[in-house]
Amino acid sequence: MSTDSTDGAAERPTEEITVIVNGEPVTAEVEPRLKLSDFLRYECDLHGVRVGCEHGVCGACTVQQDGRSTKSCLSYAVQADGAEIETVEGLAEEETDSLHPIQEAFHETHALQCGFCTSGFVMATKELLEENPDPTREEIEEGLADNICRCTGYQNIYEAVERAADAMED
Amino acid sequence: MSTSHPAETDADAESDSSRESFTGQGLPRVEDHRILTGEAEYIHDITPENCLHMALVRSMHAHADIVSIDTEEAEAHPDCELVLTAEDIKSEYNPMPTGVGRIATGEDGEPAALPEWALADEKVRFVGEPVVAVVASDRYAAEDIADLVDVEYEAMDAVADGMAAREDEVVLHESVGSNVVDNERLEFGDPDAAFEDADHVVEGEYTWGRISGVPLETAGAVATYDEESDSFDIDCNIQLHTLVDNMIYETLGYEADDVRVNVPADVGGSYGTKIGIHRYCCLTSMASQQLERPVKFEEDRLENLQGGDMHSSDREYQMRMAVDDDGTMRGLDVWFVDDFGAYPRYPINQVLKPLSVLTNSYEIDDVTYEYDLVLTNKTSQTAYRGFGVDPHIYALEMIVDEAARTLDMDPTEFRRRNLIRPEQMPYTLPSKNLYDSGDYPATLDRIEEIIADERDGGLLDPDVVAAKREEGKYRGVQPSVIIEPGASGSDWTDRQRTDKEDLADRSRDEVEELPEHLRAEIREDGSIHAFLATDSSGQGHQTLVSQLLADELEVLPSDIEVGYLDSVDAPTEYGSAASRMAVMLSGATVGVAERLLANVEELAADHWDVSTDDVTYHDGTVDRLGGDGSLSLAEIAELDAETNAAGERRTRVSYNYDHPATDLEEFDEALTQKFPVYPTAAFGANAPIVEVDVNTGSVEILTFHTVRDCGTMLNPMIVEGQAHGGIAQGIGAALLEEFGYEEDGQPQAITLFDYLLPSIENVPEIEMEHTETPSPFTETGAKGVGEGGMIDAPASIATSINAALDPLSVEEPASQIPVAPDHLRKKLRESEQ
Repeated sequence: MSTDSTDGAAERPTEEITVIVNGEPVTAEVEPRLKLSDFLRYECDLHGVRVGCEHGVCGACTVQQDGRSTKSCLSYAVQADGAEIETVEGLAEEETDSLHPIQEAFHETHALQCGFCTSGFVMATKELLEENPDPTREEIEEGLADNICRCTGYQNIYEAVERAADAMED
Repeated sequence: MSTSHPAETDADAESDSSRESFTGQGLPRVEDHRILTGEAEYIHDITPENCLHMALVRSMHAHADIVSIDTEEAEAHPDCELVLTAEDIKSEYNPMPTGVGRIATGEDGEPAALPEWALADEKVRFVGEPVVAVVASDRYAAEDIADLVDVEYEAMDAVADGMAAREDEVVLHESVGSNVVDNERLEFGDPDAAFEDADHVVEGEYTWGRISGVPLETAGAVATYDEESDSFDIDCNIQLHTLVDNMIYETLGYEADDVRVNVPADVGGSYGTKIGIHRYCCLTSMASQQLERPVKFEEDRLENLQGGDMHSSDREYQMRMAVDDDGTMRGLDVWFVDDFGAYPRYPINQVLKPLSVLTNSYEIDDVTYEYDLVLTNKTSQTAYRGFGVDPHIYALEMIVDEAARTLDMDPTEFRRRNLIRPEQMPYTLPSKNLYDSGDYPATLDRIEEIIADERDGGLLDPDVVAAKREEGKYRGVQPSVIIEPGASGSDWTDRQRTDKEDLADRSRDEVEELPEHLRAEIREDGSIHAFLATDSSGQGHQTLVSQLLADELEVLPSDIEVGYLDSVDAPTEYGSAASRMAVMLSGATVGVAERLLANVEELAADHWDVSTDDVTYHDGTVDRLGGDGSLSLAEIAELDAETNAAGERRTRVSYNYDHPATDLEEFDEALTQKFPVYPTAAFGANAPIVEVDVNTGSVEILTFHTVRDCGTMLNPMIVEGQAHGGIAQGIGAALLEEFGYEEDGQPQAITLFDYLLPSIENVPEIEMEHTETPSPFTETGAKGVGEGGMIDAPASIATSINAALDPLSVEEPASQIPVAPDHLRKKLRESEQ
């Protein structure tokens, strides 16, 4: 076994980026290969961004980039330079500690169990409802087909989306 | 058709001062807020200061000798902190405990050594097996360094098929000399006579492909070695952390108290599979000890799918059923091979649990059950939701269908004639486990009524069915009643490591069953804190305990906080497995509350210097009878603190709820003979309506009807959630998921593009009804629900596919799980020829 205490870390190229994250600008020196998901999790300390597969299937890392759902494990932080990113941490009303209607609806309908996929689903639902405030079951299916949940069987997720749609309409 | 309306009941419950019971209501979960806001800390979120990161070099060969490992270039990388190989760890640590019962070594039966080191030693036995561990400042650098390690292999022939491995042409472990590492043949009743006398003997062969839970959160471990105390702190998402922690401390060569295993309150799914992740805990601990810094490992998805020690049962069945012309099931003969992968995984394997539901819902007295447990060049098996019951129920329902065809009898009528009847409850199976309660014929009747509605203008309307057939789409449904064995005992789990001859004289006194542990305390602010000795992975245990404890203590759930104990503070108990927690935690909660209330009354009586008969507790207050004075829980806690030393506080209690079978003589024979004991039998009938496209072989589930009974429903919202999730996993198992392997042992499913998890598009509307038949054996009448759906959906989908294709006389269309389009298309084309 061998240990090698580092005198100086390897030269790793970096680039400065500025990303608006949940309304606040964040400037950082990042490696060009740093994934957006890792940037959000480790540079911005936003652990609600979950990494489940790193190849774009599970959708746990879904955030909104300039208002559109994006899988943050599939792009690099440098690609988000200048972009506006919204994560699940940006949803709840901080001052009143009140949940966003989508979060509230997920809670009320038991649309989460282990919860690892939940922020991805909440963010995908947000885009869906912004585009279509009153989706049918087929439209919900289409809107959430990019996200995988392994616990709930999706049944209560339909209910949550419908309940959130009603609440946001009011 | 859901019977619970969680959100509405919640609001009513919290505001109702007339003390309506919280138990039985769909109280929304206390776990949710932190998860929904991104505040929950899963293992991936835990990174201590000064933490280093590990990456693993994994084998790309299924079977090869390791000729050399060159780490020079890796070590020269400026970010490299540590490189570990088997040679390094063998000099300081132990192999990981491996276990099957009797490893076959010939007539004398002496067990052979079969060491599994945390890093491959001299030889690799599956693709993905870790060979070298490297540690660096971050995972990116660690992966760079892993790429610089040069491992030279000499590839060998591999065996990746359980049936073929029995021939021993390629042997995985030379020290054992055979790939068949365990075998047992059990006979119940007089199967020889039954098969001789019966009018017909029906045979079938069925394959259950390798699947698993594939939680969205991969495995993770963060270990910190403390030199001063010579001990380890390990945060990880292992399941059953108080039971399988020996896998970690024995490997490290330490005592249990020196290795603190802590599981975060939130784990991103396990479904049984994370029981097997101790390798990562060991490797990070070893690295941390070498470096004296925290070391973290986060498995990535590719690692998880190919070499994450997380695959489940992989079986070939040969089933026989003896039946009479009148439709009586006379005998059953179960034989199967379970392909266990490269190492027999400790602590227990999944071949025995099916004995607890040996004949499913049918009365069959004469049965044989035999298995070969076989090693191959595949990832090792671990547990998965259902623990091997799902393939058994599937194979059994397939032979039942085949028998009905042989008799030319309606398969539902055939099933009905053989169902265990309510007046036979509690019913003793040939394999000695008991079904506690239930009316199976009534459940079948109800699901048939539901299907009848579908036939009358619904999805199965004859006109619609006929029109669909014109398009090549065949619809069908075949209901059956299926049992979910719950609340596992533990004494049977070492049956395979026990000399069977000693069992004949075993007495009940020698039986040791594990209770469930719970602690609770009242704090001086009046709040109540409870502590679970078990880990959770999304089942809502905190909610369940707060809800039940609120009722018992006559306070609000919001007055109660529920936390967790780590492996050192918690006693070694069984924990979260085998549909066990609702039963065990509800029993433990009732016990802990009774103890707490007795102490509270004593404290108050002592304070007033009266007898406990002169005080009474209600709604969080103790009143003095016939006099002035009342004390709140906060005041009682203060009194306790004033009068008692910390170690003697009477407002701090713990309770062990004994396993329900412990005191029931009905289980005498099962317990002394070490047959699987599952004292609760949740049950239900499914009727998934399927549509098979005979041109493509694809199967769509149009709707999934189910009627379910899990005894007393403590929280109907959670009960339904568990069932929905289980059914979805069952749908994945039945139609989509499979860890396929090439003949040379190369895994075919190493991304989620190949291993297909059901998405919202694959899971249909689930139409669920409930009945409630309380268990006579448990404190609250609850039965287990954690594995339902996964246990029963694959069998029900397969029987429905049989029914849909009945007009085409395809031979056993669903004889292979998953019934994936390519498998089924092949069958359909063969039948056309």
